[in-house]
Amino acid sequence: MFNQKLSCIILLILSTLAILACLLVSFQDWIVYMVAIVAIPLWILSLGFLTMAKPRSEDAEERVKEPFTGY
Amino acid sequence: MADILINVIIAFLAGSLLLGLHRKIMARVQKRPGPPVIQHLLHSLKFFFKETAFPKTVSMPFYIGIVFILAAVWIVGVIVGPVTKGSLLILFGVYAVYKIVEHNAGSSSGSPYGKASCVRAVLSAATELPLFAAVVLVYLKTGSMNISSIIAYQSVNGPLILSIPLAAVMFFILLLSKSPYSPFGITKDKALISGFETEHFGLLRGYIMFAESISWYVMMWLFLTIFFPPLSAAGYLIGMLVITFITAFINATTPILNPNHSVMTQITLGAVCFIGTLIMIFI
Repeated sequence: MFNQKLSCIILLILSTLAILACLLVSFQDWIVYMVAIVAIPLWILSLGFLTMAKPRSEDAEERVKEPFTGY
Repeated sequence: MADILINVIIAFLAGSLLLGLHRKIMARVQKRPGPPVIQHLLHSLKFFFKETAFPKTVSMPFYIGIVFILAAVWIVGVIVGPVTKGSLLILFGVYAVYKIVEHNAGSSSGSPYGKASCVRAVLSAATELPLFAAVVLVYLKTGSMNISSIIAYQSVNGPLILSIPLAAVMFFILLLSKSPYSPFGITKDKALISGFETEHFGLLRGYIMFAESISWYVMMWLFLTIFFPPLSAAGYLIGMLVITFITAFINATTPILNPNHSVMTQITLGAVCFIGTLIMIFI
């Protein structure tokens, strides 16, 4: 869990820096497009991993036990 | 980059609100009060804070990677569409990848419902035939696959919806198949719970909703741009509201088709419109 949080913080920082760099510096168009295609989804995903609620430790096993197979 | 960011935010907000309106109209047609128009947007944001766990049976890292690809392809859609007005072929590719995402999201989930939806995603690729045919017909008429050239062509020769209306019908079928609760929406049939999204809950569901809001906006923007004369922002807004209203009305009054009927209906409509348009162009 700690590794996941740390990776998400690193990815969030990297994607923020990449987006800011493209906003402040005039790179060639293809570089800006590549950064936008990768960094915008990455920014949202890594932020989501940090904001999402985690299951309580006693419920964690139950949550991942099996896929949803019906009501 | 500022242009891309602004367009992505507009696409997300407008797409979410229009999908909320779609749901509201469907409810009113069915004599239900329905949720507020802003509900789809609120749900998308709410899921980012919901408890999320990843079932043991999912195929990591593909299970998460596939939703990342979904968001990335629709960012490509925004760049090629509203930002650069580039090639229709790339947007055709974006839609093809979207179908691959539907297939793989289902197969990576480990859920029987996801896997059934994954199989149906292969069948529902039939929706790409009307899209491909519409793109070919637009090319035959305008001599270009470039959206900015198509806009220029229409400002001189009039809107394509008047000269090749059946191609517009084919494109509209694609929009209909992409709309929620569509008669052609066999991958999200309620018999399959949420189809390929069944095991993508919490954060990942919010992420999928973010991408689908953008996709709804981009598809409608594309339809209005390639078949209507150059529109102002108000023109796009009115056009999107009208399309949302029409698709919501059709979806509220039409049952979901079974997979075979869905595929055959789309292919038949596509073939009739394609031949009809060829006759209109060459005779």
